[in-house]
Amino acid sequence: MTLTESPVAESEAAAETDGAVAPESPADALGAPRGLAQPFMTSDAAQVGRLFVVVALVMALAKAVIGVLLSFGRTDAVAPDDLFGGLNAYFRLWTLYRVSFVLLVVMPLLLGLALAVVPSQVGARNVAFPRAALASFWTWLIGAVIIIASVLAGGGWGALDGVTGNESDAMALTLLGTGMVIVGLLLGAIVVATTVISLRQTGMGLLDVPPFSWSMLVTAAVWLFSLPVAIANIVVIYADLRGRPAVAFGRPESPDIWLQLDWLVEQPAVYAMAVPVLGIIFQAVGASVDSRSSRPEAILIVVGLFGLLAVGGWSQDYLTAPQDLRDGLVYVAFGLAAVVPVVATAGGVGELVLRGSKTRERLLDARMLGAGAALKLLGAAALVGALRVIEPLDLLETSATWAVFHGVVVAGLIAAVAALGTWSQLLFGPLQQKLARPAIMLLFGGGGLLVLADLISAFIADDPDLMALALDGSIALNGVALIGSVLVLVGLTATLAAVASAVKLSAATASEAA
Amino acid sequence: MRTTELPAAESTRPRTVVVGSLLATGATFMAFAALVSVYVQQRQQARALGEEWFPSGTVELGPAGMMMMTLMLSVVTVQWAVQAARAEDRPHGFIALGVTIMFGAAVINQFWFVYQDTAFAIDDGRAELLFYAVTGSFIAMLIAAMAMLAATTIRSLMGPFGRDLAHAVQASAMFWHMCVLCYFLVWYVVFITK
Repeated sequence: MTLTESPVAESEAAAETDGAVAPESPADALGAPRGLAQPFMTSDAAQVGRLFVVVALVMALAKAVIGVLLSFGRTDAVAPDDLFGGLNAYFRLWTLYRVSFVLLVVMPLLLGLALAVVPSQVGARNVAFPRAALASFWTWLIGAVIIIASVLAGGGWGALDGVTGNESDAMALTLLGTGMVIVGLLLGAIVVATTVISLRQTGMGLLDVPPFSWSMLVTAAVWLFSLPVAIANIVVIYADLRGRPAVAFGRPESPDIWLQLDWLVEQPAVYAMAVPVLGIIFQAVGASVDSRSSRPEAILIVVGLFGLLAVGGWSQDYLTAPQDLRDGLVYVAFGLAAVVPVVATAGGVGELVLRGSKTRERLLDARMLGAGAALKLLGAAALVGALRVIEPLDLLETSATWAVFHGVVVAGLIAAVAALGTWSQLLFGPLQQKLARPAIMLLFGGGGLLVLADLISAFIADDPDLMALALDGSIALNGVALIGSVLVLVGLTATLAAVASAVKLSAATASEAA
Repeated sequence: MRTTELPAAESTRPRTVVVGSLLATGATFMAFAALVSVYVQQRQQARALGEEWFPSGTVELGPAGMMMMTLMLSVVTVQWAVQAARAEDRPHGFIALGVTIMFGAAVINQFWFVYQDTAFAIDDGRAELLFYAVTGSFIAMLIAAMAMLAATTIRSLMGPFGRDLAHAVQASAMFWHMCVLCYFLVWYVVFITK
């Protein structure tokens, strides 16, 4: 078998290693919706999961294009004002890029994987509330469309030079869309958590569930603690926006909605996306080298600890005196401690590899490469996060914030590719190595360059510039960031091509079998 | 006799509807608690600057206390509904659900009176804005809780409660209790400590 032909997950043995067995799909039942009606009426959570994954990947591609444009705007080739038609327009896309990668790309991507994989991992035929799972997808998707349309219409999460009447209406729509997206994600998280808690097969304790299911249970708990706080923020901002022409709640000198919501994309809340990444890493490596951990309980503790350190609703500093909170002991401790579970994960992965079969083919498997790349980027993000909270380094309000962001987001994307390979039978069919490997390497390269550029810029910047309108210091850094953004864009294109190829391959196999 | 011929054992797992509702209730409470914490924090900030929060005499305690009493009574009636559903006692179940919904409507009516009485405009200042944000969110939650109870009432009109509907009543009651807890926060934070 050539590399081109070899699928990532090639046998039932792989699925058994992951603790996931493809169940009989409820969609196969008599009377299940088919064709165009399927996305609107399906009660099969795996279908809903696939919808989440595909739409999130397409969204990721669009956001990566915005990322390239933003990076281009930071170079000396063109001023942001000229490229986007004004500083406000640049700011709108800048905030859209950040919020979207969290709420419209990585979170739904991992939620979609969970809806497809978790039921079979815990021995359930379907999720706890299949209709709620479908409702969560549509609530999320409609909210996402509202966000994009309203941002294009002049809305967004604030304006740098004051809010006009028309912008105020569009911003109200953006807030509505953000609220809907969060409600959709929360609904999906509740469905997944309830499935793990209530629908496990007899004899399977809560601590016996596979690492990915456990990580999704922890993720759901983290989201349930963090995302409702954002909804409260949105309610207050909305009331303020409708009550007065200018949005200056609490701090008249900072007329930005963004400053009330930016905690969602900063540490520790940004790590909430990365909790399932740990679960995927453990299972992808286990499946690649065909081994199991000698200390499964340690994996649960590591994932749980990372989840605990990702609870971020408390960390918003807009409504408190600036810096009071983020110079505090708890914030610093959370930032430093986040390195520990990532290092422990590296140790766990090392043990799996040592115990497993270490043939060249297995070690170069796309699942293995993906898990390794995701772990390295997550480790880099956690390390930068730890440096960021060390006060003498003075990195708190610098582009180091976005180094953490980029590290976590791209780690999430790479982990999703590894998961698509690990649970290919439950998702789109076998991924081809010739597409999956380059996709992973491109994403890893791009993410690494983005982290590096943002981190170096944070160290050499004369003045803190959280907006990163231009990476201070050198033309070279701006160029590095641009190359990183392009690589992420190409990597996502390769990922979508791999998914399309897997779907085509599965359809061909099915027709041959028929 | 082969073991495969034996009936399946009763599941010892927590009930799905109740677990799902518990998680949703917890998330809703988190959102409301965050809203109240913004209110408290902003009031503290205003007072530290020597600003007046509400103009004196505008927020009366009487109607707010009446609402608290109404909701305390509803705690009893909603538990009565849960008990009746478990015991398949349909007449008592209908009465308990109906009375609880009526108590909810009474609280909304009392809030309307409070809004007329205080006559705040939302753009008067951050105190007024947060007053409407907190109480408005509570009313929205109460309406959701009433809708849940109404849905279970309508379902129960079609036949016996059964195990699933009894769980649905229990889940609705859980959400109702959370609403009462949220109002307790409103009562203490907004109306008592003003």
